[in-house]
Amino acid sequence: MTTVQLIAVGVLQALLLLIAAPLYSGFVRVMRAKIHSRKGPPLTQNYRDLFKLMNRQEVISEQAGWIFRITPYLTLAAMLLVALILPILTVWSPLGMVGDLILIIYLFALPRVFFSIAGLETGNSFGAVGVRRELLMSALVEPILILVVFVMALLAGTTNLGGISSQVVARTLPYSMGFWLSMASFAFATFVEMGKLPFDVGEAEQELQEGPLAEYSGRSLAIMKWGIYLKQLVLVGLFLALFLPFGSMSSLTAVGGLVALISFALKALAFFFVAAFLENIMARTRFMKAPAATWLALGSAVLSFVFYLANV
Amino acid sequence: MDAIQLLLISLIGYCAGGIASALFARSSQRARLVSGIFGLVASLIGAASAVLALRAETPPQVTFQGLAPFGDIVLKLDSLSAFFIILITLIGAAASLYSIEYLKEYSEERNLGAIGFFGNLFLAAMLVVVTVANALYFLVFWEMMTLLSYFLVIFETEKRESIQAGYLYMLIAHAGAALIMLAFLILFQRAGSFDFNAFRQLPLTAGIKTLIFLLTFVGFGAKAGMVPLHIWLPRAHPAAPSHISALMSGVMIKIAIYGILRVSVDLLGAQEWWWGLIVLGFGVVSTVLGVLYALTERDIKRLLAYSSVENIGIILIGIGVGMAGLALKQAPLAVVGFLAALYHILSHAFFKSLLFLGAGAVIAQTGTKNLNRMGGLAHRMPWTALFFLIGALAVSAIPPLNGFVSEWFTYQALFSAGKISFFPLRMFAPLAGALLALAGAFAVMVYIKAYGSAFAGPARSEPASRAHEPGVWMRVSMACLALGCLGLGLGAPLAAPWVANVAATFSGLAPVTVSNGWQVFPLDPAQAVLSPPLIGILLIGLLIVPFLIVTIFSRTRLRSRQNVEPWSCGYGYSSRMSLTASGFDQPVKTSFRGLYQLRTLLAGPAQIVKGAAKPALNWVSRVEPLVENVVTRPTTRLIETAGQWIQALQMGDIRVYCLYIIITLAVLLILLFGRGGL
Repeated sequence: MTTVQLIAVGVLQALLLLIAAPLYSGFVRVMRAKIHSRKGPPLTQNYRDLFKLMNRQEVISEQAGWIFRITPYLTLAAMLLVALILPILTVWSPLGMVGDLILIIYLFALPRVFFSIAGLETGNSFGAVGVRRELLMSALVEPILILVVFVMALLAGTTNLGGISSQVVARTLPYSMGFWLSMASFAFATFVEMGKLPFDVGEAEQELQEGPLAEYSGRSLAIMKWGIYLKQLVLVGLFLALFLPFGSMSSLTAVGGLVALISFALKALAFFFVAAFLENIMARTRFMKAPAATWLALGSAVLSFVFYLANV
Repeated sequence: MDAIQLLLISLIGYCAGGIASALFARSSQRARLVSGIFGLVASLIGAASAVLALRAETPPQVTFQGLAPFGDIVLKLDSLSAFFIILITLIGAAASLYSIEYLKEYSEERNLGAIGFFGNLFLAAMLVVVTVANALYFLVFWEMMTLLSYFLVIFETEKRESIQAGYLYMLIAHAGAALIMLAFLILFQRAGSFDFNAFRQLPLTAGIKTLIFLLTFVGFGAKAGMVPLHIWLPRAHPAAPSHISALMSGVMIKIAIYGILRVSVDLLGAQEWWWGLIVLGFGVVSTVLGVLYALTERDIKRLLAYSSVENIGIILIGIGVGMAGLALKQAPLAVVGFLAALYHILSHAFFKSLLFLGAGAVIAQTGTKNLNRMGGLAHRMPWTALFFLIGALAVSAIPPLNGFVSEWFTYQALFSAGKISFFPLRMFAPLAGALLALAGAFAVMVYIKAYGSAFAGPARSEPASRAHEPGVWMRVSMACLALGCLGLGLGAPLAAPWVANVAATFSGLAPVTVSNGWQVFPLDPAQAVLSPPLIGILLIGLLIVPFLIVTIFSRTRLRSRQNVEPWSCGYGYSSRMSLTASGFDQPVKTSFRGLYQLRTLLAGPAQIVKGAAKPALNWVSRVEPLVENVVTRPTTRLIETAGQWIQALQMGDIRVYCLYIIITLAVLLILLFGRGGL
């Protein structure tokens, strides 16, 4: 594949992810309603919400500054950049020349910083409490992510995402205990980063991690929400690219592209299904209990590293 | 002119500026101007000299006649020295420029002549320390550097905490210096000369080398502020005026890193692999604890100082990997490790001095260092807020700024270390990576807290609501440092080869390629690539997408309304509803209770109702760093007791001292004749 072709694939997949992101979140909403024995909104409700919000007047707290205004746009831009780099349709990273896995982990930190400062800028106490919770969660999850990334990268000998994906597909990467445990810990980390239970409450944003959203309105809220939907889908994409990149193309063909597209859509749907299912059958725990759960996941990540060392 | 001449002119410039500023002490305005301008010009000349030295084929050097038994004073500008000169002079230039206006607020009650004198000589002393190639003179100027900065730490002489901070600083710096001295004396005894060259050629046993490594590592580590020898740093750095804090945190602690590199790598050749692991271990501990303690600080300058402890840890991680690589004869690993360390030294110098200068501007306006009493400054000081934000993003390792690039190299160094077939490294390097990630996430939190409490939200005190922008030169100096942060980030493909070259040259390895076009990579492009300029371009370019979405789909003509109070459940809003700095880190404090050792303080009547009040105690608890209680306090107590014992000998009576001399002479004579005569 030439560079130009790869870039074209990258742009295409970023656009597809952008368009499909509200659909996946809508699917989660539908599932939640079904589990609650409600009728629930239609699948496309999120799109309607977004367009409705875009036509509403924006009301901004008088304390807010330019960071508050730019944050939604920056969030969406950063997530689009991740979407350009992730190997989703191809086993190679479309914009692999920009950076590697470590860059991707840190690109998730970029919107987090602005989102948090925006939450503090409004002077809203709910926003601020949401900020500090969001940040603690990310601090607890970050070591898990990096340790798993290191294990996978060590198994593959490179931190380039495409390098790892293609080795998983070609089965040159050993399916050891280390691999499976890494997968479990990373799945947990993805679950938490997506803003799911037991530490977050869906559809009650101002209560927990999404507190800073409380002050957003109108088109800013629409873009911000879209950015969050995209972030969830991109996180799932990262998980799939690392551990289950099957179906992705290694050479560019029309049939291969279609297969890759459908297989990614189904894999992501499965992940969202499991996440939404778990989210709804679990009891909510107090936020301060979160470290206990994340320590467990960190333990499993460390264990996967030990297995890697022992070559099991 | 050649590099040496420029270096000497720069040194003379600093000294002249210092002395002139002392002479003009009566007119604080003149003292301020003279010291600032001389400092700025001398710094720029010094930077030019380093650039010339880096271009020279052989390291330029100059020899002065020294005192007979100690050898000549040799100033040598090899690549490592030139690298550190650039660091000192660039930050020194920004700090000097800043001081011209910044010191105005002190002109009433302080002797600015003295600040200018000590400040300029402090810069000159640091410049000599990194160039002198003779152990004795190294120590002399090392001491000068400590003493001069000591006077700057205690410049607020009426404040008890300043004096205490200065005392602690002196104590630990001298304990460290004593260890370094001991190491150099051991080398002198074997080499018969204090010359670094003589040390380098010395055939030493592994045991002696290890001893010297341990002595100098602990000695320099104390000055660098590595945990557990860091306790002086968060006290001493904030006590000085802000432009000096910037120099101390941004530059001076790096001089200690220079010492570690010069002795352990250059002179001793990083003989044993486990030296590297020791350095790595101390680095990891400093990184994690430094950032955790930074998180609970309310004092903006102490927060920045603790964060320096964290960053010294990150630098030590790189050095540790490099040293282990050198010892294991893994040249690529060594270069990547040293590259990561040097890049982070440079990055940290820029963003930390920027942050200290920003903090200085804020403190000058609000009259407090307490983050709880700031707030909302972004509206009143937009430029300062922007520069501080750039510094904060850089130190939080947000791509594509310089902090991210250097941390990326550190991760790559750890990853390369995890790949080689040497078990201890394979085991510890990835774990160190995970801990670095933990520290990274907390660093993000620390700086969101710092920026958020100072610049965002409503003003939480009266002076904070009246603040305004600092003078234009203060803003210019901050802007230069902010541009440096951006440049070292986006321009990494240009800067990294240069740093890698320094790393390879001083460790005696072959030159390497670490960049290609717009990309940087850790020697092997197959391992990983990163393109900071592309990240920057794409991030800005992709902003078009959401704007496009809005222009296409948004049909409302109503403009946004910004005259409302934040939502507060229908109650009237009060600025006291916004989160304070102390509230911000509360979840972390409780989640990592063990490390902070929350000790509850109960005073007077509360003792009686202690049992009943227990649940409420969490809220009046004070945060205490664990290390201080377990390690440092007992040590200081021991030293103090020992000091009191020794004091008994030293009663200040000259007759008693004469008696001591006579007793010593007698003992020596008996020993001498007892051996020779019989």
